[in-house]
Amino acid sequence: MPITIPDMVSEQGKADAKRHRDKQKEVIKNNLPHIIANENIITGKRNKIIKIPVKSLQIPRFRPGQTGDGVGIGQGEGEPGDVIGGRPGSEHGQDIIETEVELEELIDLMLEDLGLPKLEEKQLKTILLELGYKITGIVKSGPWTFLNSRATVREGLKRFWNFLNSLIQETGLSELNCFDALKKSQGDLGDALAMLRNPDFQVTAERVEPFPVFTKDDLRFEKVDPNISYQSQAVIIAMMDVSGSMYDQKKYLARSMLFWLVTFLQRIYEHVEIRFIIHHTQAKIVDEDTFFKTQESGGTYCYTAYELANGLVEEEYPTSQYNVYVWHFSDGEDFDHDRTMGEIKKLFAKKINMLGYGEIEPSEKYNKNLPDSGLMSAIKSEFSTQQVSTPEITMITLKTDPFLGVVIQTKEQLLPALKEFLRKERWTNG
Amino acid sequence: MDKLELERLIFLEKRIKEIAEEFGLLTTDIDFEIVPAQRVLEGMAYNFPKNFSHWSFGRDYDMHRTIFEHTGQGIPYEQVWNFERPKALVVETNPFALKVLVIAHVFGHVDYFLRNNLVQHGRSFADIAQEARDATDRFKKYEEKYGADEVEKTIDAGMSIQWQQHLDPFLEEELDNELARERLIEITRAKLERNSDFGSEFQSPLTKEEKDQIEKYLRHLSQLAPPRPIYDILGYIIKHSLSLKPWQKDVLGVVRNQARALSPMGRTKMADEGWATYWHLQIMRKLFEEKLLDGNDHGVFNDFHSAVTRESRTDFNWYRVGLALFEDIKERWDRGCFGRDFELCEDPVKKAYWDNGAMKGKEKIFQVASFYSDRMIIEEFFTDEFIRKMRLYLYQAEEDPSTGDTIYGIAESRPEVIRMLLKHAFTLYGMMPIKVQNSNHNGQQQLYLKHDFSGLEMDPQYREGTMRNIFYLWNRKVYLESIEDSKQILYSFDGHKHKTEKDK
Repeated sequence: MPITIPDMVSEQGKADAKRHRDKQKEVIKNNLPHIIANENIITGKRNKIIKIPVKSLQIPRFRPGQTGDGVGIGQGEGEPGDVIGGRPGSEHGQDIIETEVELEELIDLMLEDLGLPKLEEKQLKTILLELGYKITGIVKSGPWTFLNSRATVREGLKRFWNFLNSLIQETGLSELNCFDALKKSQGDLGDALAMLRNPDFQVTAERVEPFPVFTKDDLRFEKVDPNISYQSQAVIIAMMDVSGSMYDQKKYLARSMLFWLVTFLQRIYEHVEIRFIIHHTQAKIVDEDTFFKTQESGGTYCYTAYELANGLVEEEYPTSQYNVYVWHFSDGEDFDHDRTMGEIKKLFAKKINMLGYGEIEPSEKYNKNLPDSGLMSAIKSEFSTQQVSTPEITMITLKTDPFLGVVIQTKEQLLPALKEFLRKERWTNG
Repeated sequence: MDKLELERLIFLEKRIKEIAEEFGLLTTDIDFEIVPAQRVLEGMAYNFPKNFSHWSFGRDYDMHRTIFEHTGQGIPYEQVWNFERPKALVVETNPFALKVLVIAHVFGHVDYFLRNNLVQHGRSFADIAQEARDATDRFKKYEEKYGADEVEKTIDAGMSIQWQQHLDPFLEEELDNELARERLIEITRAKLERNSDFGSEFQSPLTKEEKDQIEKYLRHLSQLAPPRPIYDILGYIIKHSLSLKPWQKDVLGVVRNQARALSPMGRTKMADEGWATYWHLQIMRKLFEEKLLDGNDHGVFNDFHSAVTRESRTDFNWYRVGLALFEDIKERWDRGCFGRDFELCEDPVKKAYWDNGAMKGKEKIFQVASFYSDRMIIEEFFTDEFIRKMRLYLYQAEEDPSTGDTIYGIAESRPEVIRMLLKHAFTLYGMMPIKVQNSNHNGQQQLYLKHDFSGLEMDPQYREGTMRNIFYLWNRKVYLESIEDSKQILYSFDGHKHKTEKDK
């Protein structure tokens, strides 16, 4: 017979497709420093699912250049110069097919790359919330107001059938007789038995109508416990210098860094709030949009921002209830180091989880020597610091307080900076 | 699929075969298998009914699956293999009329396989399917024994150069240096001797200089490896690499054979698909005429036929263009629009209504199907009128000045330019002819490759990746000579660094 229906199932295609996807992920991982600095990701609306197109992998072979993507033969109406549409469809051309990686997946890859295991709630500082009381089950004793009548009736009916059956067994009389006696004795087993044994007992009931019979043991009460929830919540206080010296490229670096910090913290905590503070010679609390768009001229007093942050922590985000992360981005200019240091010390005294400071110094290449003026150097001389340099980035930490200072010069340093921030001992509370 | 439907399909398959034969198509017994869509998608991705595992097949499977999932209820896919006894897959969930359409289409392909002189040759590779099947388990064992990574790297590297072949797809180059050398010496000596005895009226005797030249070449020949440049780079590496393990040679041999078996099909893709589409249309019409299919079937058939042959803004739709091509040729040769009288006629109106009742159309299309490759077809039958009628254009990506988005616009639609572009694309099928010039370069067994430059420069990123893969196989420094900016250029890769030397 030339036409047959063979009986076979193969999983080879799926398995090999998975291998391809894994390889794509490897490629993404290797390109993370570039991908995370991608403007499209950062400028996208937060919480929106962001998809990053990833080309399917090709076996390299000798092939002509310049014929790359986006050139081809098509057909249909039109004259030279006419636009035929957006991205070519993926009807037949296999070069064009792209896989999309969701932001979530990208973050997983980054965490994997950073050597961070899947985050576990218990490693976080959780906060006890008392939300009143809640019913958690059923118990046999309790105050009358918590009597669960449904459950009690259910028990009572069980008891009724139980009594009825034992009466039948005991006396050998019919179900109706036994029911009648039980009813007349108002559920008292002893009385009912006595009635049944009395030869004068007259049956008046016409049918068996079950009713609940209660003993003390049949009462059921609600179990009520205090309602406690352990929640992990955090606030990020993002501060940025918007004085004249912070031009677009600096802000872009600050913005990228902040985007990823928030994204990560959102992954770690159930609730993350973000507050924005901008400052030049004065500081103010603003919304996100203003935060990134404001450009002021003039000088810089950093302490004004730290002052506001201290106020916020004091009034709205006590460290007993919040994990507090303060991040400050500036280019280092500050006209009153002393007051700034004072405010920083106040923040540490409040036991915040971490103060991050990113000094943005765009430059063509990475320079290991930290600047010898500006806020970073002021911190260095005020506190007892440790300086650590990796091939990618230089940072300083404090011996006594949770502080991370990084100098960000190029886009490629975003990932190493994040990596440092995400080291477990920094974002957990011991 | 229920029994009744199956019986009806079996009946129709018989009738289709008869109709095909009545139309003059060559037929043979074909094994049709009714399978889930997934099986067809796999068949398409893996090139053979069963093949070894590799991520590139998985990628293609994923791609076909994505398209399938987005097209909804039915897919007009068919998969047919050009075996001694051809085998074809039909998707079980497709509507009945689409199954019939696919069977008719397959009969078109099978005629093409039996008829076309390029593809016919491919049938001698029928063992390749068995080889692919056997390789599946063998390669798995290699993975267990030598590691999945090593096997994958070897396959990757092999695939990187599997399509580097001699331009004549059926030529088996002599890969053994000594045998090739002997043959060359023999031929050259014979030429020398024959000529030295006597000249002929067509050929003057060799001058002293010419003779010296040949003698010099003969002396030089003894040192050459390979004695004559080899285009089959993978074949040469398998034979001569000092570092490949026996299992790797086995893997690479399979990879090479598959490319050799498949490449002739690549040269006739348009004609093959066009031919199958042309005939499924004729066969289906006949079935409707004979009332073997009903009105409902006709609706389904129409939907899918037009979906397959619709215009694509950004793709060269083989089915549409191929079908139109055979229809165009048939019409022109039926009306006698060929030959001296027609060519010399300068009256456009007369030409437009030309009809001398030649009725040579059918004969002509069978001739084209038998002897033409896609490139030959473009040269001969892609007339200005045909290109205009097909509304072919070249599109290019550009940036929308107002939004910065990438948009695609028509860049060119002049028939002569489109013809030239297509010819170019179909001449080398995207391959760049590169030959092994010397396998003992610098006396250190370094591999020296040379690109036969024909105007197209190489993509640098792909070139570096490929050279890296060749190095993986050869394990000595690899050189590649080519042309860039009209100047000779020498690329090399030593396992660590890519280097480029420009000719000053």
